Amino acid sequence: MRREGQRIEVTGLTKRFGAVTAVDDVSFSVDPGVVTGFLGPNGAGKTTTLRCLLGLVTPNSGSATIGGRPYRELDDPVGTVGAALEASSFHPGRSALAHLEVLAIAAGITTDRCGQVLAQVALGEVADKRVGGFSLGMRQRLALAQALLGDPSVLILDEPANGLDPAGIAWLRGFLRALGSEGRTVLVSSHVLSEVQQTVEDVVVLSAGRLVKQGRLSDLDAGPHGVLVRSPEPQRLREALADFEMEDRDDGRLRVLGCTPEQVGHAAHRHGVELHELVAEPSDLERTFLAMTQSGRPAADAAAGAQQ
Amino acid sequence: MSGSSTRALARSELKKILTTRLWWGLLLGAIGWTILWAVLSAAFAGVEPGGGQPASPPLDTAEAIRSVYAAAAFTGAYIFAMILGITGMTGEYRYQTITPTFLVHPKRQDVVGAKMIAHLVVGLGFGVVGVLTAVVSGGVTILARGFELGFGLEGVWSSIGLTVVAVALWTLVGIGIGTLIRNQIAAILTAVFITFLVEPLLSFALNAADLGSVAKYLPTSASTALLSPAEVGVEYLAWWQGGLLLLVYALVFAGLGLALSVRRDVS
Repeated sequence: MRREGQRIEVTGLTKRFGAVTAVDDVSFSVDPGVVTGFLGPNGAGKTTTLRCLLGLVTPNSGSATIGGRPYRELDDPVGTVGAALEASSFHPGRSALAHLEVLAIAAGITTDRCGQVLAQVALGEVADKRVGGFSLGMRQRLALAQALLGDPSVLILDEPANGLDPAGIAWLRGFLRALGSEGRTVLVSSHVLSEVQQTVEDVVVLSAGRLVKQGRLSDLDAGPHGVLVRSPEPQRLREALADFEMEDRDDGRLRVLGCTPEQVGHAAHRHGVELHELVAEPSDLERTFLAMTQSGRPAADAAAGAQQ
Repeated sequence: MSGSSTRALARSELKKILTTRLWWGLLLGAIGWTILWAVLSAAFAGVEPGGGQPASPPLDTAEAIRSVYAAAAFTGAYIFAMILGITGMTGEYRYQTITPTFLVHPKRQDVVGAKMIAHLVVGLGFGVVGVLTAVVSGGVTILARGFELGFGLEGVWSSIGLTVVAVALWTLVGIGIGTLIRNQIAAILTAVFITFLVEPLLSFALNAADLGSVAKYLPTSASTALLSPAEVGVEYLAWWQGGLLLLVYALVFAGLGLALSVRRDVS
């Protein structure tokens, strides 16, 4: 089944809360038919951007549209966009089924659909249980079911992997890929790059309210991958790896280019060289991401400071 | 399914109320409180309070019967109706269900309008149950004191009917308060504090200072006027004026809340 999605367009979006600029002149677009990762550390402005996109928060300037129209002006919002914003928008005393039925009635969707989407996220058996007793993972899945209620062509999911166990994350990956392959527009935010690295094709990276990167993950993730290797016998290691291009690094490690960690390990083993460390060099995107999450106030801010 | 109808939105809001347990907790409270008021007012009607104060009208007068069946039901139920209205709004913010609510229907004024309709319906139910409770518990007390039930006396049925309306209107006042003060506990405490303490004291002080002409415009006095009460040292509006004034209060509160909620960020 094809479900042709619509393009999301964010242009010059700025949102201030008092003195704090949560989103600062951010522009990007999201294409249908692929899963797009919306990345950045906590507090980067991802949720505020998504809330502006969904008409819940009014930006100070700029615009955010879905298929060319602001959310509040969509004819059929639930049938166009499905959103799962946080796993806490439930009344603890209401059952999972009743929660969905309340929304289905308001949207003019048949209540049979509620049972279907609950089954789709594997919550069919707890449909009549109160949400107050649900684990975080179950709430995440209920939020997903809510997003799917109107069979929308655009899905906007804020940190859907939060609180999921590894099995849940694997399930989510398959789920998102299937939605994207049906032609839908899928925008999924995360503060953990590795969580979405295997799922998304495009990425939009935000840091401290500003756009840092946008593009194909394969482009951003490429670049000169090297392998870093450390040995107590550096000279013998160099001999073992003579077939590869390599360079010494200040930290005592050897950077080997144009090969995989497996190849390096194999060569060292064959020559009987002891290894103390063997690791694939992080990609450009991973390094950017790591720098952002570690410093908190990353490059974008420093650049802004320099300009002022 | 493009654009939700008001009817669909109101049905959704009604389901919201009925799918959590709060509504019947509040209804039980209203029943208990009404029994207390109805039995007490029937038991002490016509009894001199002592200290040379005038007695309230005895149980063979229309005033006394109206105060047992109508005023007691109103006094017993309106606070609970108001709390229902408050939580109908603040609960959405407390549990963040306001997010999916506004996602399903981004035209916020429609949502608040549908909430009012749904709460009016449940509020009418509260009014009916309150009146039935007052008639049964008050009636038993009246019979026990050897008086007639007095349904034929002047204005008894109209007061009973207007009680149901007045109780329902207080759910709207509650929704208005809930949109103005989004913190649930703060909204309930403020509303109960004002209706239980500030307003009666203000009314008492105004009447004592011969300003009964001002006191009668307070919301609770306006509601009481709707029930054609006995005027013992207190001035009231005509019943229809009281009803209109209460409606105005409800609409002003709700209108203020609406104006705020339409523009406010949901985050």
